[in-house]
Amino acid sequence: MQDVVEKIALCVELGKINRSCPFPPEMKGQEGADEIAAAALKNGVAPDALLQGCMLGMERIGKKFAEKTAFVPNLIISAEAMKAVTRHLKPFLESGAIKRKGQFVIGTVAGDLHDIGKNLVGMVLKGGGYEVIDLGVDVTTPKFLQAIADHPGCFVGLSALLTTTMPQMQASVRAIKETSPDTKVLIGGAPVTQDFCTRIGADFYSPEPQGAVDYLNQIVG
Amino acid sequence: MSIPGLTLIAESINDSVPSTHQLYEDGNMDAIIDLARSQAKAGAHYIDVNVGLRAPDFMAELVKRIQQHLSLPLAIDAPDVDIAAAGLQAYDLKRAGNRKPILNSITEARLEMFDLYAEQPFMPILLITEGMDDSGTMIMNKTAEQTYRTAKKIVDMARSRIKNVKNHELILDPGIVPIGSDTEGNFTRLMRTLELIHNDGDLAGIHISVGLSNFTNLLPAKKPDGSPVKSPLESAFLTMAMPVGLDTIIGSVKRNYTLLPDDHPAMQCLQDVLKLNGVYAVMRVMSYFS
Repeated sequence: MQDVVEKIALCVELGKINRSCPFPPEMKGQEGADEIAAAALKNGVAPDALLQGCMLGMERIGKKFAEKTAFVPNLIISAEAMKAVTRHLKPFLESGAIKRKGQFVIGTVAGDLHDIGKNLVGMVLKGGGYEVIDLGVDVTTPKFLQAIADHPGCFVGLSALLTTTMPQMQASVRAIKETSPDTKVLIGGAPVTQDFCTRIGADFYSPEPQGAVDYLNQIVG
Repeated sequence: MSIPGLTLIAESINDSVPSTHQLYEDGNMDAIIDLARSQAKAGAHYIDVNVGLRAPDFMAELVKRIQQHLSLPLAIDAPDVDIAAAGLQAYDLKRAGNRKPILNSITEARLEMFDLYAEQPFMPILLITEGMDDSGTMIMNKTAEQTYRTAKKIVDMARSRIKNVKNHELILDPGIVPIGSDTEGNFTRLMRTLELIHNDGDLAGIHISVGLSNFTNLLPAKKPDGSPVKSPLESAFLTMAMPVGLDTIIGSVKRNYTLLPDDHPAMQCLQDVLKLNGVYAVMRVMSYFS
C-alpha cells in the first residue's frame, strides 16, 4: 500500500496525469496518476491510500512553491493529476467511506473579478484533504454569510487582487465575525499583508497557498 | 528597449509593486522621484503614477513633484474618481510639452471619469476586460466577441462624452492574463479580440494597450540554464500582437523588448499555446521554461 501512496504522490508532485500526458518529459510513456489509481482500486487497495498519496504529492509541490522552486504552472498540473485520482474516488467520497478534513468556503470579494489566486488556493486545499466550496468572484457579504450558514463548521477564505477592493474584504470579514464569531476567516491576495489581516480582524494570512493548509491542519489536528 | 511604433508607459511607480509600496509607506518621495527619472532615462514615453488608495492630495503632490523633475507626460492610474481628479488637476500640461496625460482607466462601471475631461483633457484607457450585461451587472468578458462588443459600446460612450474626440486620442485595453495559468484560452481570446478590433474600420487609429508584465507574472525569472524567461515571452507576444494593432504597453524599462523571428523558441511556445486547450497549454509553457 505504501508503494501506491508513493507512486500517486510522485505523479501528483510532478504532474504526471496519465500515460498520454507529455509532461514531465522524463516520465514519457509511463503510467500516470489516472492509471495507477484505477489499478490500485481494482487490486483492492484502500481508497484512503489514494487520497493520502494525493495529499502527500500536493504538500510536496505546495512546499516547493512556497520555496520558489516550483511555480504556478506546476501547481496547476499537479492539481490536474490529483483530479485524475479523485475522479476514481468520487463514489467513496459521496458514500462517506472516505472523509475529508473539513469544508472550506472560498470566494473573491465583491467588486473584484479576479480568480487566479482564489483558484490556486482552492486547488491546494483540495489537495490538502479539504472539501472546497467555491463561491466564485464578486461575492457579496450576504453570499458569504449564507454559505457559512449552509456549511456549519466550515472555514472561510476571502481573496482580493485589487487595492480598491480591500475595504470590501474588511467589511465582509467584520460581518462574518459579527454573525459567526467562531468561524475561522483566512485572507489572501496580492495587496494583502499580515498587518492588514491583523487590522481587519481576520484569523490568518499567508502569501502562498500551502500556508493555509498548514494552518487548517493545526486546527483540525 | 526600443521597438519602433511601440509606446512604453513605465510601470514602476505603482502601489502594487512591493518595493514602491514600501517607498510610499516610508514617505520616501526622493526615491520615488529617482525611480521616475531612471525610467525616463531608460526610454519610457510616459510615467505611470499609481498611489493605491492613498489620499487624493498625495496623488496631486506626487504628480507635481515628478513634473518638477521630468518633462515626460504621465499616466494617472487610479480607479477612484477623486484620486484621478486630483492627479489630473495637478498635472501641468505645459511642463509636459502640451502632451495630454493618459487616464488609466475607464470602464462601463465608472463612466463618471469622463466628466474629469472638462477640467483637464486626457487620453483615456478604456478597459474592456469587463462589461455590463443586459441586466446592468458588470461581468468579466469571457469571449473575444463579448470583449469586442464592450469595445464598441465604450468607444461610443467616449465619443458622446468627449466632444469631437478622435480615434487616435483613445486607448483600448483588452486585458492580458498570465500565460502560465491560462487554462481557459485567454491568450487565444486576446489575439482574436485584437483581430476583431483591427478589422473594424470604425475603430481604426485607436491605440491598443496591455499591462504586459502581467503576461509572465507567476513564471520564474530564469530557466535552469540561467537564460531569461520573461523578456522572450513578452517579446514574442509583441511580435504577434503588434501586426494586429497593439501599439502601447504598460511595462518595464528593464525588459529587453525586441521583435523575434518565427523560429525563436518563445515564438514557437506561444504559437503552440494558441492551438492547445486547458492544462495542455500550461504544460507547453512549462516545457518552455523547464
